[in-house]
Amino acid sequence: MEVSVRALLVRRDGFTLQVEGCAADAAGTAVLGPNGAGKTTLLLALQGLLRAEGTCARPDRCAAVFARPAVLRGSARWNLTAVARSVLGVERAEAEKRAADALDAVDLRHAAEREARTLSTGQRQRLALARALVVEPHALFLDEPFANVDADGRPALRALVRDYAARTGCALLVATSSYADALALCARSFVLRGGRVVHDGPTAALAQVDDPYVRALLAEGPAP
Amino acid sequence: MLGIAALSVAVSTIATMLAAVIALPGALWIVHGRSRARALLLGAYNAGLGLPPVAVGLAIAFSFWRSGPLGSFDLLYTPAAMVLAQTIIVIPLIGTLAVIALRGADPSLAMQLAGVGVPPSARFALLAREAAPGLAAAALAGFGRAIAEVGAAQMTGGNIEGQTRVLTTATMLAVGRGDFSGAFADVAVLLGLMLVAAAVALVLQRRWR
Repeated sequence: MEVSVRALLVRRDGFTLQVEGCAADAAGTAVLGPNGAGKTTLLLALQGLLRAEGTCARPDRCAAVFARPAVLRGSARWNLTAVARSVLGVERAEAEKRAADALDAVDLRHAAEREARTLSTGQRQRLALARALVVEPHALFLDEPFANVDADGRPALRALVRDYAARTGCALLVATSSYADALALCARSFVLRGGRVVHDGPTAALAQVDDPYVRALLAEGPAP
Repeated sequence: MLGIAALSVAVSTIATMLAAVIALPGALWIVHGRSRARALLLGAYNAGLGLPPVAVGLAIAFSFWRSGPLGSFDLLYTPAAMVLAQTIIVIPLIGTLAVIALRGADPSLAMQLAGVGVPPSARFALLAREAAPGLAAAALAGFGRAIAEVGAAQMTGGNIEGQTRVLTTATMLAVGRGDFSGAFADVAVLLGLMLVAAAVALVLQRRWR
């Protein structure tokens, strides 16, 4: 499965994003860049959630994790059951089972009956990841997915996403401010600045990129 | 008296439900749609808040008058005509309050549900569910306006005993006759019904806190 776009042009609130080409498959593509560079806009445009010009191709079932997850009124478990039922069209019992499995996968079983809106930001990010995985997507769009997750929980969640993509061939696109995310999840990295791509190459070769943002990012090291 | 109260409740309940069914999709469109024409509908809802019931009653009475354009339907002075009038009067109120209720939810939620592939119909159902307490209040306000309304009920129903007499028109008639005990009894029942409706809405809202 692959996500790709050519000649993308998005105008949004006075900001212009212009990308000649960008693609992602199961090997993962990271979208890096300073705040306001257009990372989130690129992800939204690729999912078809924003009005954009250009030729965009994506699989029929996509799922996104937003940087600030919004959840439905109701328990964490119900949030997943409702989405699984409406997206997959499965029976309630089947949806309940998938929801339970997804909660296990993100280590949120203990909070299954908690009101989702009262979960901490990090727990809500876990729930949003579970909500994306529960629909068994063919493309995953992650926007700063682990920014608020506790440091010792991040490696397991990265492994979860990595394994899911490897197992299913799901395309992976990750906008992140974390070098560790890019290293762990994405073979390729794009660097955006001011709505333009300033670098496109293997994540492993980011050290050779002459860009102040990239140098600062790598100087922090692949912190957990 | 029981029949009059029952008709009041029936006409107002049906009108409220019809108005909700008509106004809610419009409200969802205003809050979550993309078209510029949304402002027109919101403007219509807002303008309709000040719609005088006698104007609605007049329009319906004129349209359904025996020699009027819709006279062949033979609906004037029936509960159906009253329901029609109340529905039109209540739509702007429920629509406006529903827009406010729906705007109370996280503005990003609609996009995030779309982002995991929830189809539009299910998405709208979930977004309406998010706003359930506010929508219950909107329905209560609509019911209150419908059951308390007298001008349109008089003009479209005609206050025919046993057929179209409701609590408000019965009260008017009683006062006109100088029958104050009858009028007080009608108003007491009317107030009692409002308390019952408020209690039902309160129970719904507490469940959804």
